[in-house]
Amino acid sequence: MSDTLLACLSFAATVGFYLLAKLAYRHKKVFWLSPMVAVPVALVAFVMLLHIPLPDYFRYTNLLVLMLGPATIAFAVPIYQQRETIRRFPLTLMVGVATGVVMGLLSSWLLVQIFPMPDVAARSMLTRSVSTPFAMQVTEQFGGVPDLTAMLVLMTGVVGMLICEPAFRLARIRTSLAKGAALGAASHGAGTAKAHEIGREEGVIASLTMIFTGIAMVIGAPLFASLV
Amino acid sequence: MVKVRSFSYSLLQLVAFCGLFWLCNLAVAALHIPIPGSVFGLGILVLLLGVGIVPERAVKAGSAVLLGELLLFFIPPVVSVLKYRALLQADGLVIVACVVLGTLMALVGTALVVDRIYTLEKRMNDKRDQQRHLHDDHHVGEGV
Repeated sequence: MSDTLLACLSFAATVGFYLLAKLAYRHKKVFWLSPMVAVPVALVAFVMLLHIPLPDYFRYTNLLVLMLGPATIAFAVPIYQQRETIRRFPLTLMVGVATGVVMGLLSSWLLVQIFPMPDVAARSMLTRSVSTPFAMQVTEQFGGVPDLTAMLVLMTGVVGMLICEPAFRLARIRTSLAKGAALGAASHGAGTAKAHEIGREEGVIASLTMIFTGIAMVIGAPLFASLV
Repeated sequence: MVKVRSFSYSLLQLVAFCGLFWLCNLAVAALHIPIPGSVFGLGILVLLLGVGIVPERAVKAGSAVLLGELLLFFIPPVVSVLKYRALLQADGLVIVACVVLGTLMALVGTALVVDRIYTLEKRMNDKRDQQRHLHDDHHVGEGV
């Protein structure tokens, strides 16, 4: 097969699998059908089975990745829409964001000291708790690489969704709003989706905390990177 | 027909978001602003929405598409795990352990802190609301 054909096929498969998984998950809400699990698994299998060279896979799918920039700007709209919540809970949000950034960086930093791993993985690990567009943007400042970071961010989202309920029960978290903030701060998009299941206000707090944590990570990156 | 119109409307807004991103990248480079163009653009758009230069309906549909399909945009880099097969075979378990433990720490740590702060802030808000009500009642009384 020609390279161009493989590249086109890769693009079609990426979008196709994504739409399919989205549709399937809407009908049957099981964990392994959720797009964030099913699509990467299916695509990795697809690329391996057809022996598609990675440069060919990325030739056109890279256009999708470029959309992360405009998507970052799009976060302005929920911030504007939820300005009432910001006005009502400025302290909760600020403390949630600050704790989220510090805990995200500190937990990763501590753990890679305990569990030795190759430097590139350890450094890509640092920004894994913030939403992908922000994490991929800043990871190089910490010595990480964007693609490995994207994978770790996705893993963090999945893990956060799976462990949040027992974790909150164990830690005796009383207010559901704290659960929302923690999900947004520690587990970004997936956590925010989960928070929306808990309740409307929790979802709003989660999405605001997620966005502000991402922004804080980007703006603070030069400082944080000089510390680690 | 309505569907076609709303689709082209969203598409138009999508193009506008891309245009704004491009402009912001130029601005950041030209003015030596030390933050990425995308985050700069986010700030600019919040500002424009806040002062009412850009109405919400002009960006709502495009924003919903971009944020709703965010996962699609970062699926391709995740496929790069194939590039790191050797790394994952050797250290995969350690990496997974780190992600699980780290996420647990960040979740619980943030939740514990926010739990305390939120209870405090809610009490402050309730008190303020209550005072405002008392104040309002007082005025009503005067009117009568």
